[in-house]
Amino acid sequence: MLSGRGFNQVYNVSGGINAWEGKTAVGPQALGMELFDGTESPQDFLKVAYSLEQGLHRFYLDMADKARTPAVQALFEKLAAIEIKHQDVVFDTYERMDDAVVSREQFDAMVEKSALEGGLTTDQYLELFDPDLTVEKEVISLAMSIEAQALDLYQRVGARMKNTDSAAIVHGIADEEKQHLERLGKLMDTL
Amino acid sequence: MKWMQFFTPVESKDYRETQEMISDHSPEDITILDVRQPSEYQESHIPGAVLIPLPQLSDRMSELDPDKPTLVY
Repeated sequence: MLSGRGFNQVYNVSGGINAWEGKTAVGPQALGMELFDGTESPQDFLKVAYSLEQGLHRFYLDMADKARTPAVQALFEKLAAIEIKHQDVVFDTYERMDDAVVSREQFDAMVEKSALEGGLTTDQYLELFDPDLTVEKEVISLAMSIEAQALDLYQRVGARMKNTDSAAIVHGIADEEKQHLERLGKLMDTL
Repeated sequence: MKWMQFFTPVESKDYRETQEMISDHSPEDITILDVRQPSEYQESHIPGAVLIPLPQLSDRMSELDPDKPTLVY
């Protein structure tokens, strides 16, 4: 998030506080890739946003399958359900602005065609962060890191969008992600 | 679904490198940023770390100096 806003010397402390306390350490640095060039139409942006939300939904379901305790499994299922709501928002926005009548199934199919390539699989992602899936705090922390990346992505894209309609949509979705992140933070505080 | 697209490029520092960076800078010349929740910060944190929980970070970036090296955890 910081590296996209003029902070040129940002370093991730590998393993976070756990590494600092000598409990564990993880290594590889994450690389980045841009999805948007700022010239996309609102419709194009919404398709990519939808695929991101779809990906988050699948990711949480994958995680629910891998969870080792019923509580953590339930948590992932809840997070997955929230992503469906995000997809609903994206689709509603698309429907409102696009003249063509498109069913949800048709929209799903359109988005599938623009499936993202490159990057990490769910298993590689887990290997990178090595979360303890029996610990709810670690699960939420992982979810927050993903949501923060999504928020950052939307905010950076919104700032670069030349089309004002697109920018307004991107900012709206970014606000949704921020609220989602805040909810996860509050959930973390209850544990 | 692939995930690399979510990551902005950030270099990682391990424990030893983090220690070196902190000892090589005066406290006012480096930012150690803790983005966890306040309760986690209270449990333990790297000495000198500034707490800005992740959900607040996008609104509070102006509190940080972009020209200083920033260690984030």
